[in-house]
Amino acid sequence: MNDADLTHDAVVTHDAGLTLDGVSAAYRGVTVLRQMRLTVARGELLVVLGPSGAGKSTLLRVVAGLEPVTTGRVWIAGRDVTADRPGRRNVSMVFQSYALFPHLTVAENIAFGLVVRDVPKVAARERARSAAEQVGAAHLLGRRPGQLSGGERQRVALARALVREPDVFLLDEPLSNLDLALRVQMRAELRALHDRLGATMVHVTHDQTEALVLADRIAVLRDGRVEQVGTPDEIWHTPASRFVAGFVGSPAMNVLPSSGPIHPSGAPPAGMAGDREIGFRPEAVVLGVSDGTAATVDRVEVVGTDAYAYLTLRAGNPVVARVPAAHRPARGDAVRVGVRWADTHVFDAATGLRCVP
Amino acid sequence: MLAPYLVGLVGLVLVPAAVTLTLAFTEYDLVNPPSWAGLANISELVTDPVFRVALANSLVFALVAVPLRVLLALGLALLLHRRSFGGRPARVAALLPTVVPEIAYGLLWLWLFNPLYGPINQLLRVGGENGLTVLGRTPPQWLTDPTDARAAIILMSVFTMGETFVVLLAARRALPADVYEVAALEDATGWDVFRRITLPLMAPVLALLVVRDLIASLHFSFVPAFVVTDGGPPPYATTYLSLFIYRTGFEYLRYGYAAAATLVMMLLTVAAVVVQWRLFRRYRAFYRL
Repeated sequence: MNDADLTHDAVVTHDAGLTLDGVSAAYRGVTVLRQMRLTVARGELLVVLGPSGAGKSTLLRVVAGLEPVTTGRVWIAGRDVTADRPGRRNVSMVFQSYALFPHLTVAENIAFGLVVRDVPKVAARERARSAAEQVGAAHLLGRRPGQLSGGERQRVALARALVREPDVFLLDEPLSNLDLALRVQMRAELRALHDRLGATMVHVTHDQTEALVLADRIAVLRDGRVEQVGTPDEIWHTPASRFVAGFVGSPAMNVLPSSGPIHPSGAPPAGMAGDREIGFRPEAVVLGVSDGTAATVDRVEVVGTDAYAYLTLRAGNPVVARVPAAHRPARGDAVRVGVRWADTHVFDAATGLRCVP
Repeated sequence: MLAPYLVGLVGLVLVPAAVTLTLAFTEYDLVNPPSWAGLANISELVTDPVFRVALANSLVFALVAVPLRVLLALGLALLLHRRSFGGRPARVAALLPTVVPEIAYGLLWLWLFNPLYGPINQLLRVGGENGLTVLGRTPPQWLTDPTDARAAIILMSVFTMGETFVVLLAARRALPADVYEVAALEDATGWDVFRRITLPLMAPVLALLVVRDLIASLHFSFVPAFVVTDGGPPPYATTYLSLFIYRTGFEYLRYGYAAAATLVMMLLTVAAVVVQWRLFRRYRAFYRL
């Protein structure tokens, strides 16, 4: 498998739900998206994951037509919409801020897109009601946004997005303004809604848990490029680069030179020649291995039944280990650290790309 | 902390205002001591044809000039709120007439309105013959025809809407960009965006500005009428309340009578403030986002 297969969709099909074909975009003279190739299948929920400034929101805005492309084409449901204005692309968008009209009632907010497209009033009201019912906001129809809680506004924004049955839903960090409990609940509802509608959705987030839980596939973005596209399992088990490996997972994956100080046990994979790095997740670290590498415990964080031990190897490298809270070491303890080859990921030290499958 | 302001407010505004309002019920010529006249001034005002004309002129001026000023300011604010090529000089140009000193502004228009060599009428005569416009009509006699003179004062006042323009510009720029993006995604037309989003979101500010302008219109008609038309054409085509009060008080030295007219003007202002208060209460819900 070569690098291109790992980092991009090998074949760009224009008949998918959404296709970006070599799209670049700039914001105030700074290039934000670089030659991006990405395909979202019809009915798929793609989560775009990446740190701030990776170009996630710009990607959505380019699809919506709110920002122009500098190169490349955008295809939605088999149509080349690159030159179309936003209103002609048949997409709807849920903004991070929800962007509700403060002077309109919830019913009027939801029906806005229908009313300006000259759908008869009675029909528009009926469809707004049914959209509100789908997201559990039917009891809010007479209220104004100022009278709603964050979660309720979120539901209204969702209802407004789905009332028109667009070709693609674009969701720009829709859950980031909610508190944790509500975020978890809305996450599940969003997934259920997607399964019910079977619509093509692109969901942008910087929250890796949200991405792993919600997505059919995840596209990891970095500096305006697609670093990896894959199912949550693929992203987790075979990260295509050191960046993906470090970004997905909390605490982040440990990455050390393959030359040491840790020497994993078992048989090393083929292709270990050259300058390599090995990565292993905190849960792969085993403490108390008799022939392991010596380390001291800097601090221990207990999260319920798990504990994360932050260690410093004798050579000075930091390593995080997940251990059962019941058997956690104490601060300052000397421990011996071991890892198995089977639990490691190998990356090229120079390019950061995964080099062993 | 508030003391200096309060001293100024009481000493320079409230006390003189109270004295003036008391004088409204006296006969006073600034030379002899005032003598109590009861409601005589008020009942004389009611039957005074000049006062009636002045009151009517003021109301007509307010009803025509204020909507024109606010509409022009709104139109310019919506045209010029974006950062675009030439936007900055255009915004400065829109504000400029407001910062010209009033007397200079009046003298400038006196020249602009000159029926023979004034630029406005020269422009209107372009293409016409024998001093007529291209449609074969006499150009407006700005300073001598009563209706044209009233129009002239209104025209002058329309260009001094700079403050209203600035407030509306700020109000438009304060509106959230994302609701406009939602509108774009829904393919709303420019008219729909204006009617369903911009206008309702700016309505509270617009309402306040209209009331403020109504109140101010009682004052800003004074200098144009004083400098450009001198209250005429005869007899009183452009005599507004403010000019009427000025003449009565300081030219005819009927200070008590002028004070009574001031009382009427103040009651009009109070009425406008009450309307403003009501509108504000009605729209307060919008600000509670």
